Amino acid sequence: MVTLVKQELFKLVHKKSTWITSVLMLVIMTIYAFIARNNANTFDPKAIYIGLFTGMTWVVFFMIAASSSIISMEFQYGTIKELLYRKYYRGEILVSKWITMFLYSVYFMLLAFVYALILKVTVLNSNFQLSENYGYKHSILTTTIYTSLAQFVSLWLILSLVLLLANLFKSSAAAISVGIIGYFAISIISSLLAIVIKKWTWLKWNPLNMMNYPNQVASPSLKHITLLSTNELLIGSLVYMAIFLGISYVVFKRRSV
Amino acid sequence: MVGPNGAGKSTIMKAILGLFNYPSGKITIDGQPVSQTSHQALEKVGALIEYPGIYPFLSGLQHLELFSNDGVSKQQVMEIVDKMKMGSYIKRKAKTYSLGMKQKLGIALALVNHPEFVILDEPMNGLDPQANKDLRTIIMDLAKQGTTFLISSHILSELEKLIDDLVVIDKGQIVYRGDMATLESDSTRSMVLQTSDNDKAKDILTQNGYQLIDSDEGHISIVEDEKTKMADIIKLLSTNDIEIEDVKHVHSDLETSLLNLLQNDKVKEG
Repeated sequence: MVTLVKQELFKLVHKKSTWITSVLMLVIMTIYAFIARNNANTFDPKAIYIGLFTGMTWVVFFMIAASSSIISMEFQYGTIKELLYRKYYRGEILVSKWITMFLYSVYFMLLAFVYALILKVTVLNSNFQLSENYGYKHSILTTTIYTSLAQFVSLWLILSLVLLLANLFKSSAAAISVGIIGYFAISIISSLLAIVIKKWTWLKWNPLNMMNYPNQVASPSLKHITLLSTNELLIGSLVYMAIFLGISYVVFKRRSV
Repeated sequence: MVGPNGAGKSTIMKAILGLFNYPSGKITIDGQPVSQTSHQALEKVGALIEYPGIYPFLSGLQHLELFSNDGVSKQQVMEIVDKMKMGSYIKRKAKTYSLGMKQKLGIALALVNHPEFVILDEPMNGLDPQANKDLRTIIMDLAKQGTTFLISSHILSELEKLIDDLVVIDKGQIVYRGDMATLESDSTRSMVLQTSDNDKAKDILTQNGYQLIDSDEGHISIVEDEKTKMADIIKLLSTNDIEIEDVKHVHSDLETSLLNLLQNDKVKEG
């Protein structure tokens, strides 16, 4: 398994897009940091910092693209045969791809988090203190850590779906679209979702509602709309993740190539 | 392995490699079973199926590094590169490769882990004559060292120079299995004559016990066996005042035998 993960990482680091996206994210974060400093009255620098200068959103985009292509590229390039006919079990091949994506997402999160800290102490040093209280009882720094971790859970809920779709359709286009739409859908239809959930309570267990987890971590009062406790949202997310990855596993094992 | 398009050559190869879900039967390599879920037996197998799978963002050398096992040294990888004569472009990104270059890389990938059993599907695809000859030399050398090859190809003249055993399949069925010599000797050898009076010559030859092959194309075909002597025939015809204008020996090659075989197969079905 270690060999397989190494091979996947080898492919990942030799792809140009891997590095272009990282640089792109840092550039955009820098731009946002300057916008926040120069327009401190319109934009709340604290809120922008907690959102990692939009870094988190870009991590979601780039991870959706990377996760869909890590499976579909093998079909597109015809390398799936070379990958599968070796001595390794099929399940191992798929899991090695998941692990690689997990490592990649951790790398992205750390990069965004550390760079946001750097931007804070350089560009926005005089605007606020990291130890200041923000919202509910926590300091700004603690809030940022909690929010980022919660968003990481949400990210993986989306990624597990993207990995499943890329596997089913062997094409990255469908998986990327659904992934990105899914990520934005929650902010677009949240009010509609709230009405529907109020009417049919059992619908609170639908996967879109689980996407509210990071929001509810940031503002716990959201539980009156999601009708689930923060921990229930966390468990729900993990269960859906397990279901999506489980279906992927079964499909991949049975496929004739 | 030879057969018409769609006969099931690639499918058989994929099944051997555990890529394909087969409903019944059993495949073993060296006594170890192979299926989609059991791949341990494939440790010593290398393969190129259909077209080579190439990552456009990696160089040829990176492909070989990526797929080589831990036990394979850089030097051993370079040996294969040299044998395949890929040195001049092995460090370039694979997206710049031509069809033949990709094909060579695919073959190199099949050989890089020094497998005991190599499966090559149409390995001569896109190769120039020189590369073709190089590949033949590599295959012969490895075969001498004990590597088993399963090769499918349409280029029969190339196959003839390589193979020990032949399997002909059609519509998923084996229609011939054996060595090449047997398939060739199954076919008849004949002597084709062109004379001043073919009709008369035919009568005389039949009367004298020669077996003729029916043909209306203005010549005479005599079935040849060990006893057929050209001198006797010339003597026989010239004593009957028939001039012989042309003589040819026709020996059907692998291609003819094969086409006959597949033709007969269709006739049987009808």
